[in-house]
Amino acid sequence: MAPIAVGNVLPDGKIFLFDEKDQLQTVSVHSLLAGKKVILFGVPGAFTSACSLQHVPSFIEKADQLKAKGINEIICYGMNDPYVMKAWGKTFPENKHVKFVSDGSGEYTKLLGLELDLKDKGLGIRTRRFAMLLDNLKVTVANIESGGEFTVSSAEDILKAL
Amino acid sequence: MAMSILKLRNSPALRSAANTISRIGVSSSRAFSKLSEGTDITSAAPGVSLQKARSWDEGVSSKFSTTPLSDIFKGKKVVIFGLPGAYTGVCSQQHVPSYKSHMDKFKAKGIDSVICVSVNDPYTINGWAEKIGAKDAIEFYGDFDGKFHKSLGLDKDLSAALLGPRSERWSAYVEDGKVKAVNVEEAPSDFKVSGADVILGQI
Repeated sequence: MAPIAVGNVLPDGKIFLFDEKDQLQTVSVHSLLAGKKVILFGVPGAFTSACSLQHVPSFIEKADQLKAKGINEIICYGMNDPYVMKAWGKTFPENKHVKFVSDGSGEYTKLLGLELDLKDKGLGIRTRRFAMLLDNLKVTVANIESGGEFTVSSAEDILKAL
Repeated sequence: MAMSILKLRNSPALRSAANTISRIGVSSSRAFSKLSEGTDITSAAPGVSLQKARSWDEGVSSKFSTTPLSDIFKGKKVVIFGLPGAYTGVCSQQHVPSYKSHMDKFKAKGIDSVICVSVNDPYTINGWAEKIGAKDAIEFYGDFDGKFHKSLGLDKDLSAALLGPRSERWSAYVEDGKVKAVNVEEAPSDFKVSGADVILGQI
């Protein structure tokens, strides 16, 4: 599948998360994101360096500024299972706004055309690193790295586009 | 809630098949698991390696090296246990603590390594091992692509619990690569035969 691009409507699919009541939920992407201005950023692996030390902190730090600019949700997305995404989210005690969701089955990342083979790093198939701005499910900004590098997908880059 | 889904999904036929095999006493195995007494674990899973739990930086500096099974099992007395997933209930709250609290007894019986393995990447399993304070005592390995468990017939589809392809909950005592005892739970959410107390009685 060709990678998702600006102008596309985000496809619908199932992802997994723990809700505010700490209940495990399977949700449809459309029901989660419809009608909202959302930043969706993708990470190749929970508990890996660039993801933990740079990518997530960049969005946690800029969350208030992003919300002030009208962003309703900031969502961190990875192919780890929902238990791992939840536990990893908890390692950022300063986090107030970023939500952590899981594409544990890998099906949704396939729909987005963003699969990345990281088998030689012990990760298997993951998602490319990216940051997208969505307006009622329409992709208005798509900063997609070619792999796991961190050059265009930070919060600062998205802020510049707002 | 996910665990009760698992229980419902286990068919009665599977249960009764497992029940016909004696699970009490010296050693036990599932008829359809390739792991049983006398199996040479390295031959049963040829060319398979595991990924030692590590931080990403350690991964980079070790050039993402993997550990062949022969390095883990050859010439050693090893107790190994496998579980469905890091950061999940029974695994975190019962299975690992059971082994952690019996480490002295394992040492007294001359066990060289106590190993925990699951179908997780090595960075996730590393984060988990540190979180539950078990990294000093137990060696954690990731079977990130599931090849180890699949080769031994211990793989299990846990998509119903939103975990995807994982493993059974199991334990084994392996001496110089030869399996001396193996225990596999009927359902991965069970914790009846795969604990430290059972395997201690089988060494």
